[in-house]
Amino acid sequence: MTVTLESLATCFQGLLPSQLFTCSSDGIPNAAYLSHVEYVDSEHVALSFQFFNKSRRNIAENPHALVFVLDPDTGQGWSLRLKYVRSETAGPVFDRMALRIEAIASYCGLKGIFKLRAADIYRVASVEALPEANACDCARVTESKLDPVFTVKALQDLSARIQQAHCLETLVDSILEGLEESFGFRNSYILVPTDQEGVLVTMATRGYAVGSVGAEVRHGEGIGGMVAEARKPIRISGLLRGMLYALAMHKAESEPQLTRLTRQIPVPGIPNPESQLGVPLLVRGELVGVLCLESEVPYRFHEEDKASIELLGGYLAIAIQNMQWQERTAESAAEPEPARVDAASPAALRACTRTQHNVVYYAGDECILVDGEYLIRGLPAKILWRLLSTRDATGREEFTNRELRLDKSLNLPEWKDNLESRLLLLRRRLDQKCPSVRLAPRSRGRFALEIDGSVALNLQP
Amino acid sequence: MIGPELAAFFEQGVGIHIGTRNERLHPNGARAIAAKVESGGTQLVVYVSEVAASRLQVDLESNGQAAVVFGRPEDERSCQVKGVMVDIRPATDDEQPMLERQWDGFLNQLEKIGIPRVSSVNWTTWPAVAVRLKVTTIFEQTPGPQAGAQIA
Repeated sequence: MTVTLESLATCFQGLLPSQLFTCSSDGIPNAAYLSHVEYVDSEHVALSFQFFNKSRRNIAENPHALVFVLDPDTGQGWSLRLKYVRSETAGPVFDRMALRIEAIASYCGLKGIFKLRAADIYRVASVEALPEANACDCARVTESKLDPVFTVKALQDLSARIQQAHCLETLVDSILEGLEESFGFRNSYILVPTDQEGVLVTMATRGYAVGSVGAEVRHGEGIGGMVAEARKPIRISGLLRGMLYALAMHKAESEPQLTRLTRQIPVPGIPNPESQLGVPLLVRGELVGVLCLESEVPYRFHEEDKASIELLGGYLAIAIQNMQWQERTAESAAEPEPARVDAASPAALRACTRTQHNVVYYAGDECILVDGEYLIRGLPAKILWRLLSTRDATGREEFTNRELRLDKSLNLPEWKDNLESRLLLLRRRLDQKCPSVRLAPRSRGRFALEIDGSVALNLQP
Repeated sequence: MIGPELAAFFEQGVGIHIGTRNERLHPNGARAIAAKVESGGTQLVVYVSEVAASRLQVDLESNGQAAVVFGRPEDERSCQVKGVMVDIRPATDDEQPMLERQWDGFLNQLEKIGIPRVSSVNWTTWPAVAVRLKVTTIFEQTPGPQAGAQIA
């Protein structure tokens, strides 16, 4: 063939529907839309086999097929003449296609409904340009192509910001800020692992409604959970998601027992994302977090950006992990001398406002509600309860990270406890939901529990 | 056979593709420009640009078998009509405004999913040929539990 499949990479993104033409053994042609054609190698493509439909029955009888794909950048249509070779139910091609389907289904809150039965592998006998769909004169027309994303300049700018961060909080904020200002991604968030196996939590968000910090995501749920599970970047364009979304809606209507996941804090998300990208933040195989980006621009993330994306993920992971270690090391050198409350301190003065908050800790669920509203759960909840109880019993307002580490009741792991991430998450949840209770940094590894007014503590089993 | 609601869907300006097959049962296909329901819903006229129709004409004249799929990107509604060719002729000047109106509707659909009109400036729509089919079966193809169900 004169045109290589590699040169058609942009056609294999699933942005536009493809068309599949087949024919039964008794000579009846069939035409259908396809959500995605997957590139396999220089001579093969794969089509997803999810349903026993007419196309699939025809292929079982007659292996010849024709597929049209369209280049979303140029408008050029291509005709691929195919012959069915085999169906794969395992391996990298199957995994890649299944992962994409699962990520999209999970985005709809309906994980597990769409099962990829097989990746059907076809040999490409010929590739021809469709004369009725010629490319436009401009080489590249989409906004994303006119505005390349992962430029060296943007990576340099982000790196400079990261270098200036002095603590975990400024680091994660500067990452998201840099992604907006240098790369143009206005909607992004970072998930970090929690103390609960297979659960992540949003630690930093940008471009979403206030209140999305603290949202929990299980491995396999949504794009972030899928990335954490697969430890691979996932890129989704709008149309494929849309088609499956339509299917999901039909399915949900016909099977009312399927309920969407209910969450105490909604996972961040723009209403109509056209492009999504999830990047695992890995250091030597350890998952430090997941970076998720969303855009209303279709086809925002390109195949050729893959190397840059993986490089960026590795760099951010090292930066975050280094900062965690740096904070922990510096804290060990600090003098852990808790101070007693000073009657003239700003905190004491603010207490004159006399706001009363009711804080209930459900020990069994390790969950805290403030004034009847969910605040946080897990280790950050245990930490907050420990701080509030200590303050209530002793009047002490200043605490150190080190004493929390030494507190056996918190059950922090001796190795990689991610305490700084937990405290940052707790601080942000308090800022959002209960700003009159604050964790105010005093120095590295030392902070104060500031409370405007009073707090009534209620321990429940 | 094709009811008024379905006819309105077919003629509103959506994605249309027509498939045929040769004597060795190898499929062929082309993008269509427009469609028109006639003869009380028993016939469907599919308009294909001349340059694309040249790939289908031999198939249609030798065995007549055709499948036409309609898809609306905005909401994924899709439907397939199967039929046998009755005749094939050049589209007339009188029909051109109707073709342009439906094509414009299709380009509007593409814009809704992020494909700008500039991508389609070199897509050929005229001159066109009109392929008249006698409708034999109709299938629902919108993603969902009814996908593939015969509706007429």
